[in-house]
Amino acid sequence: MKVMIVEDEMLLAMELESEVQAAGHEVVGMAVSSSQVPEIVRDSAPQFAFVDIHLQDGPTGIEVGRMLAEKGVPYIFVSGNIKKLPRDFAGALGAMEKPYTMNGMANALAYIDAVVRGEEDRLPPASLVLAEDVTYPSRAAAQ
Amino acid sequence: MPDIDDSQSDARRAGERLVGAHVREDPFAAAFKATRMPMIVTDPNQDDNPIIFCNAAFQRLTGYSNEELLGKNCRLLQGPETSRATVGRIREAVSAGKDISVDILNYKKDGSTFWNALFVSPVRDDDGSIVYFFASQLDFTNIKSKEAELAAARHQAEAEVAERTDDLQESLAARTLLVHEVDHRVKNNLATMASIVKMQVRLTEDEGQRHALLSVLNRIEAISTVQRKLFTTNDVARFDIGDFARELATDLVEAIKRDDIRLTMDVSPVLVPAVKATPLSLIVNELVGDAVRRGLADGGGEIHVVVRRLNGHFLIRVEDTSEPVEPDPVSAELGLRMLEASASQVGATIEKRREGRRTIVDVTLLVENKDTSH
Repeated sequence: MKVMIVEDEMLLAMELESEVQAAGHEVVGMAVSSSQVPEIVRDSAPQFAFVDIHLQDGPTGIEVGRMLAEKGVPYIFVSGNIKKLPRDFAGALGAMEKPYTMNGMANALAYIDAVVRGEEDRLPPASLVLAEDVTYPSRAAAQ
Repeated sequence: MPDIDDSQSDARRAGERLVGAHVREDPFAAAFKATRMPMIVTDPNQDDNPIIFCNAAFQRLTGYSNEELLGKNCRLLQGPETSRATVGRIREAVSAGKDISVDILNYKKDGSTFWNALFVSPVRDDDGSIVYFFASQLDFTNIKSKEAELAAARHQAEAEVAERTDDLQESLAARTLLVHEVDHRVKNNLATMASIVKMQVRLTEDEGQRHALLSVLNRIEAISTVQRKLFTTNDVARFDIGDFARELATDLVEAIKRDDIRLTMDVSPVLVPAVKATPLSLIVNELVGDAVRRGLADGGGEIHVVVRRLNGHFLIRVEDTSEPVEPDPVSAELGLRMLEASASQVGATIEKRREGRRTIVDVTLLVENKDTSH
């Protein structure tokens, strides 16, 4: 599976890259801000993407996600605060909340790989939050 | 000015007629004169409906003498602040020959004001014609000013409450923002710590070192998961240890990718104070980790995780059925120490027993009342 990583924390991005590679996938592009994404999508045709909400040019991850959804690239959000996500998750398969565990990421990768290959009846792992699972307890208080 | 003298003497004569109609000992007349309720009688059959009689209480209230009042219309009590609308209502009632009860601001002789609860009522003769108007007054200035004070106090209190509420909302918003910011930084730092350890795991060739690093990583990840789950419930001061146990056990067993390990769970939501989240989560982490170390990873078997309330207690049970193998002594000792330290921090008791191939570890602690815990 050709994977793109959109993450502004370099250490985390590199670690994720290693984990993706260890699971037998190829990382075809890494972006730290939203502006770098279209080029990677055009030139490297990723089959899947990890997208952080907060990037170097601000909370632009959600826009990146909508763009990927439009282009038919499946993706999940990886973020420290998934409550910032819109309720429809901007078309994402799901979200992993940071800090995730190695097991959590390995299970999520296995699930994603299966979904991208067209397996549909597989249950998502506990580490992957789906849009319908999210309750928004502090949303009112935070605004 | 003879006209005025004439009208005054007319009024006086009318008053005298009124009093003269009553015998000297008439208790009603005596009561009228002596009562502390200010009262007057006017004669609508004379020009301008003048006062023809007033009692001593009325004179005391208004500051006018009997002479000054007789022959005058009641409008001498009006002043610039008197409501024209109220005066109009009185005039209408008098012309219509009806009773009226109104509150009106009146003026005394010295120019000071008083709130007058005025009652005016026509007095009719046997034919039904109006012969007099009777009016009683009640000075309720004190009540009125208390009302005003109360209203002012209420307005002030309301304004203060509104201001205070704004302050509180502002500081709550600031606090919420701060909590989220700090939470975000803590999560990021934990993720960075885990990344550093993982990086070293990948770089190291030595199996012993790798093992030690993974053991550290395992605990960092347990604490990271606690931090991640701290703000997911509606109550930020509470942590669902059941939810933690479910995710930890399923993630661990799923990641081992072994069909011969069967995980079953009896886990219900158990909310614990946030301060106890880390030690309790480490307990769950050690128990599940220990079960895997003691043989599940080698020979497969069954693992059963229980988190539930039980008669005022709360129970964490991890039960496994496996061919026991001798665990690595350092790992075993670390696991034991972590378990003991965490249990002693939250005042939990640990009970471990073996039944053939089954190992059962029960950790129990008293559930606190919601309001005494924090």
